[in-house]
Amino acid sequence: MEFKQVIGNRRSIRYFEPDKPVEKAKIQTMLEAANRASRSGNIDYWKALVVYRDELDQDTIDGLRVPTTTAELDMAPVQIYFFADLSYADPDNFRKNLKELVSLGALNPSHGWSDAYVDENVVGQIISPMLSDPQVVGWMGTIETGLAINQAMLAAVDEGLGVCLHAVNMETAKQVFKYPDHWLPCWVLLVGYPAEDPLTGGQRPRRSISTMAYLNNLDTPFEEDPAVTEQLKGSGLIQNEIDAEKRAAEVRQLARRFGLPE
Amino acid sequence: MTPEEVAATPSVVRWFESARLDSDPDEEKQLRYGLLAAFCDHTGQSPDELVAGLLRTTKAGESAISAKRRKIMDASIEEFVEKSGFTGRDAVVNGNIIRSFLVHNGIFIQGRAWRG
Repeated sequence: MEFKQVIGNRRSIRYFEPDKPVEKAKIQTMLEAANRASRSGNIDYWKALVVYRDELDQDTIDGLRVPTTTAELDMAPVQIYFFADLSYADPDNFRKNLKELVSLGALNPSHGWSDAYVDENVVGQIISPMLSDPQVVGWMGTIETGLAINQAMLAAVDEGLGVCLHAVNMETAKQVFKYPDHWLPCWVLLVGYPAEDPLTGGQRPRRSISTMAYLNNLDTPFEEDPAVTEQLKGSGLIQNEIDAEKRAAEVRQLARRFGLPE
Repeated sequence: MTPEEVAATPSVVRWFESARLDSDPDEEKQLRYGLLAAFCDHTGQSPDELVAGLLRTTKAGESAISAKRRKIMDASIEEFVEKSGFTGRDAVVNGNIIRSFLVHNGIFIQGRAWRG
């Protein structure tokens, strides 16, 4: 699928084919996409735990339910738990990775980088003070993990899968999966083949970018060029919004199939 | 309560309007009324009382769902389904019909999905 089409086709899928297995190769593709995400200092902030629903006992599935995530756990064949590994917040990690990037020319003298700078300045003057602030540590770990999650989601769409980010009962998750204390839970990505229209009848409403983006100063909205907007519609990045009537009919049919509240 | 009495209560009228159930076949509508009436008997509460009992008022004076009472309600639905002898798909569907009534009255509650 073309890149813009993938972005345009992504939806939060909430009805999955419960018994259509998700190929491990597709999960690997998602994880490799996550692993290609931008990351400061080339640090491995993100961690993921892939769990196949049918490997869990019913008590565990029930224990993972929260009011906002219940039936989805019955339907989605795969759960991917994403964490921010806060053990990254170690100056030696940065020193090692930055030196590797310098040696590979990814960080280079053109932009002021050298082994000497890493060894003698950047870690002591910038990295260590930054990592002493827990708020910064949490912010950096979660934002970098978020970038990885997003790439995994787009890869899933490209593979014909449906995805949706959820919160589950992490007390249960901690008891069952015993993840380390320094792994900060971010999101659980539910994965499966959509039982609903993968395009859910259209894109969710989005406000114009001119209400959110500015040009050169905050007094000047970034106005869309209508010709570009048309091109983006042609490429599939911008699609029609949901037709509420058709969607209501589909939701009702899905509710009846799965015995869910209408 | 009889199914007819249940059908006339404001919260049930609201449910049918919100979920657009009024145009359903009469048989399906009666099934819903009857099921909710039986659940009301099970709990000893009217439909309006079921909804009101799940709400609390915050210190700021706003209405909020009581998570604790919602959990108890969910368990009560499961108990009712079991006591009524529903099994398999019927157990899931009928429990979720009760939840649908609550959902359309502003109570965020989810049930299980039937996987077949």
